[in-house]
Amino acid sequence: MILHAKNIEKSYGKKKVLNGISLKLKIGRMYGIAVENGSGKSTLLKSLIGYTKIQKGSVAINGDFGYCPQLPHFFDQLTVEEHFKYFCAAYDIEQREAQSPIQFLLERLNFQKYFKYRISELSGGTIQKLNLAISLLNFPDLLILDEPYNGFDWDTYLRFWDLTDDLKEKGITVLIVSHFINDLKRFDCSYELKNGQLYEIS
Amino acid sequence: MKFHKIILSTKLIMKMLSRRSIVITLFFVIPIVFLGVVELTTSSRELPFMLGSLDEEIFISVAEKQISLVFFAVAVAGFLSAFLAHYLFQKNYLANRRLVVCGYHPNEVLFSNLIAILIACVFTSFYVGFLVHHFFEVRHFFVFVLALFLSCIVYGLYGMLVGCTVKGELEGILLIVLLINIDAGWLQNPLFYAQSEQQEIIQYLPAFYPSQCAIKASFTDYPVNNSVLYSLLYSGIFLILSIIIFYHKLKLQHEKF
Repeated sequence: MILHAKNIEKSYGKKKVLNGISLKLKIGRMYGIAVENGSGKSTLLKSLIGYTKIQKGSVAINGDFGYCPQLPHFFDQLTVEEHFKYFCAAYDIEQREAQSPIQFLLERLNFQKYFKYRISELSGGTIQKLNLAISLLNFPDLLILDEPYNGFDWDTYLRFWDLTDDLKEKGITVLIVSHFINDLKRFDCSYELKNGQLYEIS
Repeated sequence: MKFHKIILSTKLIMKMLSRRSIVITLFFVIPIVFLGVVELTTSSRELPFMLGSLDEEIFISVAEKQISLVFFAVAVAGFLSAFLAHYLFQKNYLANRRLVVCGYHPNEVLFSNLIAILIACVFTSFYVGFLVHHFFEVRHFFVFVLALFLSCIVYGLYGMLVGCTVKGELEGILLIVLLINIDAGWLQNPLFYAQSEQQEIIQYLPAFYPSQCAIKASFTDYPVNNSVLYSLLYSGIFLILSIIIFYHKLKLQHEKF
């Protein structure tokens, strides 16, 4: 088990957003959670990664996790290269060990030519590629992706699924949360988040 | 906390700042405009000014233009550092948060920003100090620069506190403008202070001691120890509050297992 969330409850004032959510993710599997607008997707993800304090329940992650937020927030005046450097330091990856994963991600997501560009000079799609690449930089045990293919063109969308298939083969657990999960057969298990609860889609 | 992470982060923050050409330009231009307007518009008549930070009531006689230059130098140094610190903490909040999720400790992020602010404060103090010195010769130049540095630090840390606390950019800027305008930009004016009916209130405001330090260094030989000490005390309070709030906002709520 890579992630075990037990009976999570979270309210904002009187409004209960998460109402007893439990989730178990196994190693090397791909999971999908389909959500409606305003169903508590962000709150669920923030609770899983520890951004926000839950009022009841517990979350245990057995290993490193990578998180790709829906809205990428970077430093406008830094380049893609400098972002990789910054986040490698965050992950405690030595500079000489970082070259190989960085090259791999640049090639797989096809944005090598923007390596020296500042964030303020990039398109939304390229920033989203960097967003995904940063979450993968340390090849974590668990990858949590929030609307990861927002802004991708068709070619990148297909590259994304190839990449997640490869990651799964390497034993990385992938959790994708999205408003649009139309390719259910890609997942080992799919859920729907509705009224603050998770329902398994069979 | 890991030292190499703080160093790298500081370098990148300095790079970010150096690439914002408009900010850099304004950093150079604003003090020239402030002090230039004072030089052009203020009278040169000699007036008696009260030194507020001494136990006894001591008045010094100085040209209005010179004391206005000193007073505005303190205000402009405080303004610049407060805005810079606010910008670093407010604008980069979400990106900093992601760094923490990926492994940076909140204090590593905070201290690297703090070092960048300190570097900017040193630069601002010397720059504004040299500008004032160009208009008239201050009596103790390096003590005067120290006074400007204290103003930068006190208000830089206030800007940092606002940047850590207030979510909205506009609200944060308004809070900075409000306090600095009332305190450094108005009440600490020696012309106003000498005539004030509630000098005790003015003495409790953050810009009081840096202003007094600057006035003493510019025109007298009085020691500035107390002004330095109390300025550092104010800075310490703002720093501790910033650390608590920043850490509380950025720390992850559960540990990895």
